[in-house]
Amino acid sequence: MKGILGILITLFGVITISAQTLDVKGTVLDETGMPIPGVNIIVKGTTKGASTDFDGNFTMKDVSVGSVLSFSYIGYVTYEFTVNDNSDINVQLQPDVAQLDEVVVIGYGTQTKKEITGAVSVVSSETIENLKPTRVEQALQGQVAGVNITSTSGSPGSAATISIRGISTNGDSRPLILVDGNVIEDLSVVNPSDIETVNVLKDATAGIYGVRAANGVILITTKGGRKEMPLTIDYTAYGGFQQTTRKIPTLNATEYAILTNEAFAAGGQAIPFTDLSVLGKGVDWQDEVFQDAPIFNHSITLKGGKAKSSYAFSSSFLTQDGIVGGKKANFSRFTKRADYKVDILENFKFNSGIIFTHTNRSVLAESGLGSVLFNALNMAPTFSIRDANGDFTYAEGLGNEVINPLAQIEDSYNKTAVDKISGNAGLSYSFLDNFTVQSNFQFNYSQVKGFVFRPEVFYGSGKVFNIFRNEVAETKNYFRDYTFDGLIKYENSINDMHNIKALIGTSVFKTSGLFTGRRAFDVLGNKVENASVDKASNEENINQALGYNPTFDSRLLSYFARLQYDFKGKYLLSAVVRRDGSTKFGPKNKFGYFPSGSIGWVASDESFLENNSFISFLKFRASYGILGNDRIPDFRYVSLLNGEGTYVFNDELVFGAAAGAVANPEIRWEKQKTLDVGVDLRILNNKVDITADYFKRRTDDLLVVPQVSGLLGIAAPGSGAPVVNAGSVENKGFEFAIGYSDQIGENFKFNIKYNATMIDNEVISVSGADDFLAGGSFGVGQEPPSRMEAGYPIGYFRGYKTDGIFQNQAEVNNYPTINNAVQPGDLRFVDTNGDGVIDEDDKTNLGDPIPDATMGLNISFDYKNIDFGAYAFASIGNEIVRNYERDQQLTNRSSYYLNRWTGDGTSNTFPRATTGATSNSLFSDFFVEDGSFVRLQNVQLGYTFSDKVLNNPKISKFRIYASASNLFTLTEYKGYDPTASTGEAIGGGIDYGFYPNPKTFLLGVNLKF
Amino acid sequence: MKNLKIKNIILLLLVTISCSDDFVEVNSRDRNSEDFFNTEAEYQEALVAAYDALQASYLNVMLGEIASDNTLAGGESATDVPGIQEVDDMVHTPINQQLRDIWNNMYAGINRANFILEFQDKTDFTGKNEVLAQARFLRAYYYFELVKWFGDVPLAVDKRIQFGDQFTIDRTPKAEIYAQLELDLMYAADNLPYVQSQTGRITKGAAQALLGKIYLFQDKFDEAADVLEDLIDNGPHDLVADYSTIFENDNENNIESVFEVQYSDLEGAGFGCLQCSEGNVAVGFNGIRNYNGPMFESGFSFNVPVQEIVDEFEAGDVRKDIAILDIVDWAANTGATYVEGYEHTGYYNRKYISRQGDSNIGDANLTNPNNYRSIRFADVLLMAAEALNRGSISDTRAAMYLNRVRTRAMLPDVNFTGTNLTNAIYKERRVELVGEGHHFFDLVRTGRAAQEINGFVSGKHELFPIPSIEIQLAGNRWNQNPGY
Repeated sequence: MKGILGILITLFGVITISAQTLDVKGTVLDETGMPIPGVNIIVKGTTKGASTDFDGNFTMKDVSVGSVLSFSYIGYVTYEFTVNDNSDINVQLQPDVAQLDEVVVIGYGTQTKKEITGAVSVVSSETIENLKPTRVEQALQGQVAGVNITSTSGSPGSAATISIRGISTNGDSRPLILVDGNVIEDLSVVNPSDIETVNVLKDATAGIYGVRAANGVILITTKGGRKEMPLTIDYTAYGGFQQTTRKIPTLNATEYAILTNEAFAAGGQAIPFTDLSVLGKGVDWQDEVFQDAPIFNHSITLKGGKAKSSYAFSSSFLTQDGIVGGKKANFSRFTKRADYKVDILENFKFNSGIIFTHTNRSVLAESGLGSVLFNALNMAPTFSIRDANGDFTYAEGLGNEVINPLAQIEDSYNKTAVDKISGNAGLSYSFLDNFTVQSNFQFNYSQVKGFVFRPEVFYGSGKVFNIFRNEVAETKNYFRDYTFDGLIKYENSINDMHNIKALIGTSVFKTSGLFTGRRAFDVLGNKVENASVDKASNEENINQALGYNPTFDSRLLSYFARLQYDFKGKYLLSAVVRRDGSTKFGPKNKFGYFPSGSIGWVASDESFLENNSFISFLKFRASYGILGNDRIPDFRYVSLLNGEGTYVFNDELVFGAAAGAVANPEIRWEKQKTLDVGVDLRILNNKVDITADYFKRRTDDLLVVPQVSGLLGIAAPGSGAPVVNAGSVENKGFEFAIGYSDQIGENFKFNIKYNATMIDNEVISVSGADDFLAGGSFGVGQEPPSRMEAGYPIGYFRGYKTDGIFQNQAEVNNYPTINNAVQPGDLRFVDTNGDGVIDEDDKTNLGDPIPDATMGLNISFDYKNIDFGAYAFASIGNEIVRNYERDQQLTNRSSYYLNRWTGDGTSNTFPRATTGATSNSLFSDFFVEDGSFVRLQNVQLGYTFSDKVLNNPKISKFRIYASASNLFTLTEYKGYDPTASTGEAIGGGIDYGFYPNPKTFLLGVNLKF
Repeated sequence: MKNLKIKNIILLLLVTISCSDDFVEVNSRDRNSEDFFNTEAEYQEALVAAYDALQASYLNVMLGEIASDNTLAGGESATDVPGIQEVDDMVHTPINQQLRDIWNNMYAGINRANFILEFQDKTDFTGKNEVLAQARFLRAYYYFELVKWFGDVPLAVDKRIQFGDQFTIDRTPKAEIYAQLELDLMYAADNLPYVQSQTGRITKGAAQALLGKIYLFQDKFDEAADVLEDLIDNGPHDLVADYSTIFENDNENNIESVFEVQYSDLEGAGFGCLQCSEGNVAVGFNGIRNYNGPMFESGFSFNVPVQEIVDEFEAGDVRKDIAILDIVDWAANTGATYVEGYEHTGYYNRKYISRQGDSNIGDANLTNPNNYRSIRFADVLLMAAEALNRGSISDTRAAMYLNRVRTRAMLPDVNFTGTNLTNAIYKERRVELVGEGHHFFDLVRTGRAAQEINGFVSGKHELFPIPSIEIQLAGNRWNQNPGY
């Protein structure tokens, strides 16, 4: 880097000046006549520039006569001025209602909104401030058309899954996320109030990111200071509590006993509850595990700038308990961030930023058999919480998997602490009027420490969670990555008509890591206080049984070029090509080329639309490109001895060498061809803003791990099927967003925004002998319910279709049944192929977890000092699988069983209760529900104290507010939360006993000095 | 001049900041399978991995027992592991996950053994024959399982079946496979000692016993008798005097164990990869449902013995209470509690249900350390007796071997000859080896299955169906077994 600096400084001395020039100075004022500090002034077609100081003044030396000065400032219409002989230039900027000059980050550069030819959506810091998300993803749900967020869990600190324009791959469909150019995989480490903007690249515009762009790209910019900005201090704090959005209605003790007796009688067994009168309501286990949990957040940001430099510094602290488990599910985050930019010379700029994050997270068993909520739902209400000795009751008789959930919470000790440093530094040097050289370096380093103590514990006879020998494990994993970008940019405007921007660049990315850990046994006294590997016995390295090296190293080497051209800002053109080399692929296919292009036409600049009273702005745009996806595990092109080959000689484990997954030297990029056609329209004097897009994305050469012949030895421990390129998926859809903002009278401003997305997903082909891939799980020991299969949406649910309940024996006799055990009161499976038998071939499409449409609605208004905002999100046409019922003889049941079939004509929906053998628990549409919902995501009411009230010149803003998140959800779904999903392409949308997203009530304050 | 300089500088910059393509040439730190077998240690490592697949054969044992008339599937409910329930009821189809698991697990072992044999000539060292002998035994063991379950199966000798090969390899006639297994086991017997320094290693005795068994499965009675009697006369094995100690964990690898699959409670696995466990998964599956009491631990109540097998024991047979746990009696006597599972019979397969006192690191039910006594000396004696009798070689010696087994069981000698002796041997095999996964295949190979097993259809159920998905994945070229 030093070398480059030296060259650049030398270079600076080389450039000489020609043409007739003069020195100019002046002042820039706003519409009210107040000076605006920090206005950017650029000599058009060059990189020469200056900015106004605190009093709005600027000076510029050696400006050619006849050149055009462009004055730009966020929120104001850019003003252009042609330099004449007069050296005094005073300018008044007008507010930009349309904000067409808003600068949008598009990857290795920026464009104004007007110039953009791709499908790019922006979420601003105001939106994030209003929503108060604990995680960034929450601010994207419903705000941006085409972006869908599902939660893997509602527990504090848990991840959300982002999908942009549907699921285009069976593999990892997460988008590429860059924070200030830095790759971030886990957004939980980012403090949302540090964010200035979130830009979502949804189409071929993302092509500049080549092989990683197929799932879309999210560019996050953090807040920085501005030049000539006085020190401003923003302090925000909020506190409140969270509670569950709902409880699943389950049977109380008496109802449970009646139903259980009925089931036992039907199964020919003695009834277990002979005296119903003593039972009452019993214990409501959900009441016992759910609690109101506190949440607090403090955040302070300092920003400012001098003539040639700007800085920002922020610090935040968040702590959030879980609505299940309280402190045992706590997430705390501490962040510190510093950002500094300086113009070392007028044309030589430096920027750097650093973020330190520390998070602590405690987790309980979640989702599925063995999770706390699963136990709470299935634990019988007739059990007391504790026995006569004050110990937690054993869940005897409820099967091997259901245990007392309170005992489980008490015995869970599972913590993760992350220390992460992310940094960036960049140099930019402008020369020869039109050129800029930039180099940026970004890095992340994190250390993830895990602690698990599994005390010796007995939950009841035969419980699979009983632990016979206590164990403590301490893991320490290290992750490092860096990205180095080098760019040369060219920018020129010829005759004020031909505007050209060109860019060539290279990017280098390397990520590596190491996984380490130890475990030991026999912790003294079986107590967590003594739980440390150093103090326990039989210490062992957790990696010893692994067949593989516990490290990784994967890299990317890229070259790219982009040309942007417009004619008078009216006809726009952009073309990108990128060459990527990745360590994921073998020598034959290491390098790939990804071209993309886009065009735009600003029709409203044409003479026939100019000064049109109705249409303020109209742009048509289209883009097409080939993007890649390389999200597969490392080294799948070469056969490695990274399987597990462990056997026992002399009663001791012996570790051998075994082949890992089958290699495929031929694997290559997953290729996505993506088309977008869109229109941007503003009407009624820019008050109404409409964006509509049609898109079609076809992913070919999908990187799949198909079923392959067992002859290849894939069932061996640590082995597996190869990754192959096979199959295609197509997503077609339509996005629409409309916004309306206006002012009524002096005091009332309002803003309404609505967006909708419709996506149609279809698997075109899956190669492989049986032409499908299966995933997810249902019940115990049943085959995976989700499939990827040609002609169906990816991850559709396949099972038996039902057609009511057999009402009587005659119906049973007259209809094909799955086996001889079927009796009146059982579900009637449909013989879909009409062959007179119910078998595997009758399984059919029962729906899919992909919504047909999603939409978001934002309403906000300000009246005098009061501000109000409300935001709702809806998802329509997504199915969800109810899979949190254990269905054992003595486990509790959902209340809908009160409406069960008890005789001819009693119910055609809910089957009979019996302990006998039935096929009712086989995967069928009885378990598939419509997961459509409308959710009021956030409502907020704020009050800003006026200057008069404050009477304190130091405080520039003082606002208090109350907000409620996730207030209510309208849905037919019986489970906790219709957004529950593992996020898997094949196997998503199955509710295994989801930790619900909490309802949160907050009181907060914003202070600005 | 100025332009030239700047051009140079831009070039220089690009060179400085760009990388060569070598940057993305990274080698894994894991060893490459095609650059292995350079030292003796590497052969030994690969051999350990070939042994590893033995542990997955817990399923063959459990499902084999359930297929017979000794036990019912059991479990939690009629839909608990449908593949197991179907085999019990003889209604299994080519879509059966457990049959597919057996197929896949055995081929996993075969590929690991063949990996060593493919590179057998790469590096020389003293004792290599012993390594190769073990590898060939293991390959034979896995292939024998496949032949028992599926009949004709694709045979690969001294080379792995690699990606792409699955579309060209055909099912090999059973006789050809047996011929190969005989060669392998003769080689193993010739190159291995009777006593190994490490317990768990394959011995000459194991090779002879398996060879004898394979002869017996082909009705090659002379060859079977020869090799089995050689083992009886010259090998180090004997019956354990007290039958009740044989299956306890403190008496593993005892003098009666000719071949024993080793398990450990030190490392478990999840349900997603049962074959990854170092424990004996069958033991947890066989265990008493929701058991709370002395001696035993809880399990999933699969593989429950039926009254018929309990009644098969003669009065005074000491083996009965060792092989079969009468849970009703036991609970009454000890105060133990349990829950009745599906198809509850009141009996459990006491040889292979979980005992207390194990660490069970990982999932308790999947990490039981009970070794599977794959070939016991009692089995060898009974096989020898059967070969001698059915091959009309010597009923005297046959009766002698049979009576050794009966004496240990505290039963009187029998003096049958001919068919009566044959039937006595069959009966003795059934009770001596109950719960050990042999009976179904004994019934099939002796042609008695149809008369003994409900739902067994002659001409069909002698073999299990090849998983239809595996037929498809190999290019849809193989014929299904008859009747499926």
